[in-house]
Amino acid sequence: MENLRQASISKLLKAANRLQKDPEQYSVLSKNAPKIRVAVIGSYSIQHFVKVFRLFLDRAGINAEIYEGEYGGINMDVLDENSPLYQFKPDFVVVFMRYNDVQLISKEDLDTEKAYLKSIWAHLDKIPGVTILNSNFAVPMERPFGTLECDYEHSSLSLYRELNLSMTKDHPKNVRIIDMEYLSSLYGKMNWFDEGNYYLTKQGFGLDYLGPVADEVTKMILPSVGVVRKCLVLDLDNTLWGGVVGDDGPMGIEIDPHNPLGEAYRAYQSYVLSLKRRGVILAVNSKNDLDIAKEPFEKNPDMVLKLSDIACFVANWQDKASNMVYIAKKLNIGMDSLVFFDDNPAEREIIRKFCPEVCVIDVPNEAENYVRALNEASPFEWAQITKEDMARSDSYVENAKREEMQASFVDYTEYLKALEMKGVTGLVGEDEVERFSQLTNKSNQFNLRTQRYSDSQIREMLEDDKKRCIYVSLSDKFTQFGIISCIILSAPNEDNGCEQDECFIENWCMSCRVLKRSVELYAFRSVIEEARKMGAKKLVGEYIKSKKNSMVEKLLPSFGFTEVETDGDRVRYIYDLSVDPKGEVWIQK
Amino acid sequence: MDTKIKLEQVFREVFDDEEIELTDEMTADDIDAWDSLTHVQLIVAVEEAFKCKFSTVEVMKLKNVGEFIKLIDRKTGNA
Repeated sequence: MENLRQASISKLLKAANRLQKDPEQYSVLSKNAPKIRVAVIGSYSIQHFVKVFRLFLDRAGINAEIYEGEYGGINMDVLDENSPLYQFKPDFVVVFMRYNDVQLISKEDLDTEKAYLKSIWAHLDKIPGVTILNSNFAVPMERPFGTLECDYEHSSLSLYRELNLSMTKDHPKNVRIIDMEYLSSLYGKMNWFDEGNYYLTKQGFGLDYLGPVADEVTKMILPSVGVVRKCLVLDLDNTLWGGVVGDDGPMGIEIDPHNPLGEAYRAYQSYVLSLKRRGVILAVNSKNDLDIAKEPFEKNPDMVLKLSDIACFVANWQDKASNMVYIAKKLNIGMDSLVFFDDNPAEREIIRKFCPEVCVIDVPNEAENYVRALNEASPFEWAQITKEDMARSDSYVENAKREEMQASFVDYTEYLKALEMKGVTGLVGEDEVERFSQLTNKSNQFNLRTQRYSDSQIREMLEDDKKRCIYVSLSDKFTQFGIISCIILSAPNEDNGCEQDECFIENWCMSCRVLKRSVELYAFRSVIEEARKMGAKKLVGEYIKSKKNSMVEKLLPSFGFTEVETDGDRVRYIYDLSVDPKGEVWIQK
Repeated sequence: MDTKIKLEQVFREVFDDEEIELTDEMTADDIDAWDSLTHVQLIVAVEEAFKCKFSTVEVMKLKNVGEFIKLIDRKTGNA
């Protein structure tokens, strides 16, 4: 992706053409690459975009089938529900619009346009499980009011800006906004708008930006196929501060706000802190003595990041690759959730070589460009940011405190009691659906069948009386975890092969942050309760082996399920619902 | 380098065909892959290779390869 983003448009188009003509030779997809169906429609020519987009998806490891709408065919495709678009049954619909599609002369025009957008989205919403990626409007350069544009709400620019803001404020949950306004200003509107090419061949924006737009849309799709980075692993010397703490001492390092270089490092720390606030976990991987490495955090008041911001602090003289493995294990996340930022190219090379799943950022030589480099790489692309996310990185820090407490208890049961855990289980409603979807799509390790669902598919299940979406949330004396486990039950149907008095556990995942705390059993009890309410006598469960879920291989037998069938990577179990499960739960309702 | 030779290389790149040989009379009809879509690509590639920018009218008026070469020479001050 990195190389693609920097390639010239001719090179991109050439590579894209080759991929289109001869996918067998030019595709880099592995056999088990996730498959999706994407429709692209637009009010301008999208043919070149589709070519380049296909290339970006391929290089991102997504096997996409793409439907390409006719030029200017949004209404034709969307308003007629018998159109090829609907027959294509896309998982994603990408909609490109341009400022000149819209006549914005007065405030009233805004309402018309908003109503139009809503009707487009409402029509598309009839496609089961669809996610809509709708562009906002790159605000044009023309200023009929001249310098007065920004003084009046009804000026052309103000109206476009308001329209964009209203899309942000008021879009359905299954719509995401492609921020063309941001991209056009990032690259510069003088080049973004290419009138000649628009009049000649209806290119909506300069061809040079096909790459950046394809990259942006690809990034919006990636988390839905399970690629989600969660943790930023940082080096210390010459990464978080200038100089070497072992030589310069905690007060001698460059982090002084009155010094240009110190200011640059502080700006980087502030950016990192803003990532932590949105839910990114922070870790340190440094070649240092642990005590010395911690000193700046404890003693130097100019440090923006505090020790309490770091969920896993590793400083030793071992190789950094082993430390990465340790960090992933300690935080209970996959290696592919880690992003590594280190000023030393040799260390980056080692991680690339020995931990290929880790995303390694190309760090520039100058500290003043660190923020830009990390921001441009934009590794933390998630499908949404929930309130659980905002609290998450702290909960990892609190986990460390909890572990200290655990060490002081001789008996694990005593420890669990002292945690004063409180749980809530229930059926998913509108308040829970976002987080339910997020956890269902992000969990890899504690996940029985690793089924993925979009927000809209989950919403459909909520309406379906043959399905039950159960959530479990948890808090203890340290942390409000929010929802940490998601279970989907289904009545007998063709897919699950269940018989009449059976109920099927279609999916069950849990956040690994709350392992070994009797949450599994607590959740299982509510599963039993719900299955009984559905009128079932037997509960059928399955374990489908994935690369990452060996942790739950024995989960069902541990509850007393009996194995009935093994089919390749799939093991099927059954449980008699007249029996109550054994074991003790330390969670209060 | 001779404009025609350099342009020929651009054509070969864009159409991914090493056997293309340009003549002045050549038009879009003579190359299978030369359609309105690849035409856009061709113009961008030529602009990139010769470091110039064509106007809408210039692109519209192009009749054949010979005229294209003349246009490039005029734009790059080669004529």
